[in-house]
Amino acid sequence: MSTETPTAEHVVTDDPIIGALRQRFGDHALLVQPTLTGMPVLWIARDSLEEVLRFLRDMPEPFEMLYDLSAIDERLRAHRHGLPEADFTVFYHLLSISRNRDVMLKVALHEDDLALPSVISLYPNANWYEREVWDMFGIAFRGHPHLTRILMPPTWQGHPLRKEHGARATEFDPYTLTVEGQGIEQRALQFKPEEWGMRRENENTEFMFLNLGPNHPSAHGAFRLVLQLDGEEIVDCVPDIGYHHRGAEKMGERQSWHSYIPYTDRIDYTGGVMNNYPYILAVEKLAGIEVTERAKVIRVMMAEMFRISSHLLFLGTYLQDLGAMSPVFFTFTDRQKAYEVIEAITGFRMHPAWYRIGGTAMDLPRGWDTLVQGFLDWMPKRLREYERAMMDNAIVRERTRHIAAFTTREALSWGVTGPNLRATGCDFDLRKQRPYGGYEHFDFEVPLGSHGDAFDRGQLRIEEMRQSLRIIQQCVDHMPAGDYKADHPLTTPPPRERMLQHIETLITHFLQVSWGPVLEPGESMAMIEATKGINSYYLTSDGNTMSYRTRIRTPSFPHLQQIPSVMRGGFVPDLIAHLGSIDFVMADVDR
Amino acid sequence: MSYTLTRAEDSVAAEARYPLGESHRVEDDPMKQQVHRSVFTGKLEEVLNLAVNWGRKNSLWPYNFGLSCCYVEMTTAFTAPHDIARFGAEVIRASPRQADFMVISGTCFIKMAPVIQQLYDQMLEPKWVISMGSCANSGGMYDIYSVVQGVDKFLPVDVYVPGCPPRPEAFLQGLQLLQDAIQEERRPLSWVVGDQGVYRAEMPSQREKHRDRRIQATELRSPDSL
Repeated sequence: MSTETPTAEHVVTDDPIIGALRQRFGDHALLVQPTLTGMPVLWIARDSLEEVLRFLRDMPEPFEMLYDLSAIDERLRAHRHGLPEADFTVFYHLLSISRNRDVMLKVALHEDDLALPSVISLYPNANWYEREVWDMFGIAFRGHPHLTRILMPPTWQGHPLRKEHGARATEFDPYTLTVEGQGIEQRALQFKPEEWGMRRENENTEFMFLNLGPNHPSAHGAFRLVLQLDGEEIVDCVPDIGYHHRGAEKMGERQSWHSYIPYTDRIDYTGGVMNNYPYILAVEKLAGIEVTERAKVIRVMMAEMFRISSHLLFLGTYLQDLGAMSPVFFTFTDRQKAYEVIEAITGFRMHPAWYRIGGTAMDLPRGWDTLVQGFLDWMPKRLREYERAMMDNAIVRERTRHIAAFTTREALSWGVTGPNLRATGCDFDLRKQRPYGGYEHFDFEVPLGSHGDAFDRGQLRIEEMRQSLRIIQQCVDHMPAGDYKADHPLTTPPPRERMLQHIETLITHFLQVSWGPVLEPGESMAMIEATKGINSYYLTSDGNTMSYRTRIRTPSFPHLQQIPSVMRGGFVPDLIAHLGSIDFVMADVDR
Repeated sequence: MSYTLTRAEDSVAAEARYPLGESHRVEDDPMKQQVHRSVFTGKLEEVLNLAVNWGRKNSLWPYNFGLSCCYVEMTTAFTAPHDIARFGAEVIRASPRQADFMVISGTCFIKMAPVIQQLYDQMLEPKWVISMGSCANSGGMYDIYSVVQGVDKFLPVDVYVPGCPPRPEAFLQGLQLLQDAIQEERRPLSWVVGDQGVYRAEMPSQREKHRDRRIQATELRSPDSL
């Protein structure tokens, strides 16, 4: 496995997958696009899409997971030399656990014929991704069983991620809600089982349709789930999302590379700076910045602090969903301790937006190490207590063991990543498999589960917190000296010391602070092991101060899509246990 | 003191916009009119009003409703380190029908707005709304197609708590400001006693109240040490 960081335009041509595809489909079937994504990006014809996907899925050491699927509106893109002509591009990002490799397939589409074959039969999790592409771009998928809006309200007009669609709310008329409009919207949200191919009754029984959410104490935010019930048994269910769509991808198209950082914080809002990480790594790839050792270790330390804080929130709410009142009081006390450290270092609690292009916002304050050490000394005995009082608790065990279990194979086919995947016994942690940002220098283990049930998902996170504490301890013990920012012209904000030399330095500084850096045209991607799974930013630069397209792949989106396949035949209390054990936040689903 | 008077309406037209009910400012304390009528009943009503308001403000039951990031900080205020029980507001209700106030803690989305309105309508009077965080106050940093630019576009808001997200302490202060406002309210004591309108006191803006003191600060602590 290579740990080198790509520096220049780096074409992946040696990947065996390219040869295999050429051998099978001929030399003209694919066009290799040079990118900084670190994986082969291959353009294929629309007609061969299904065949190529099937070949990749069924080959030895297959691409088990459809990691991401989305589109790009290419109509206003200036720098497209050597690429097939396209108005819209749909891309399929596949991931292979066995090869530890990725491949991206791209299909060019023209405005007058925006349609593709649906690939749900090959990868079941394509379902929601295809609906999202339809909702956001208006690209149709032939053969899709339910091609309707997923993020926007059913009454919405237009496709927001198209370039001609307005971005700002203030471009539209101010929002008003009338009594009549309220009625229309409420009726539009009503669930009609027939539309989903559900029957209202069978020979023996009339089903009950229970609407859980969009506001329900166990739904962890604005999430709606419609249950088809036969008594307590869940016959089927339909998750309904989009109540938390903040247009983060569109926002990336009008914020400078630098000023977009605070928006990333609010994607997985319990993850804080963990969200800055993949975005900053992707931007640094585009800019060609290599950060200092100190900056790397500071970043790792703060990311792991947030992993602990997020897992503590998970633990408290997970046990509360199972009916235990007090854990949340204990874990939030610990979170307060974590926030004392985070706030002292970054100056903010939940959304510090603390990483910068080329480093961090500032250096560690004097006395940081005793503060962090205090937290490291406090946590282990608390974790032991949680394990004893809660995970060994007979009721918790009864409620969670062998509940909502799924296998590694099922998890991969639904795009499940992170602790939920590792709970099935699959050893795939990006910090180990594809170390980024200096994780290769740390000594830690990847805890694994064995049953893939709600219990393992909870237990595993306690163990992950221990490993995070171990990583932070190594950061405290071996914090390198040096600068917290890279010495590079695109580092933002630029060093202030170099500003007041003469007028040229002042002008440069002013431009880089007000406009931000201008990045070379190109595409880059960075994936990280975030608190809830694999989070990645796929950035397309058109040589501007802003991103041309920002694609955010979040782990919670596929996790929610998987719910029906896990819960069919289960009981309502098991569903609540499952929802608690997934660990999702709605901003991480809808973005 | 100035009040805002809102009267309940019997019938609503389909094109009526939320928030419903016509509000207008009145300069006079409704109590004053009572005093002119009879000193004794005036005093009695004042005492009764104070007593009822005292009870209301110290047993506010929040609706368990959250939208985004702010909800995490709101929940933090409910747990041990911040302990909202000190202010009598720890009885979280999962049903809007049992709740006294609703905290719009997070971004208000166009897809979510009709749902929020429905939940608000299901709450029983007397009820109040705290708008928590920049998104709920004004849309904040999300001037984007899917976000309503402030929940007050359709809900009547009593207290705005600034921040992105506000600290739990800020939320607790917002709660106390709501309590202060409730103490000054005039609501009908019964359906046969007095004026049937709801008189909400116009409370002073915190920004104006504290401006003089705040601008005194010239030396800020350096972030280089703890």
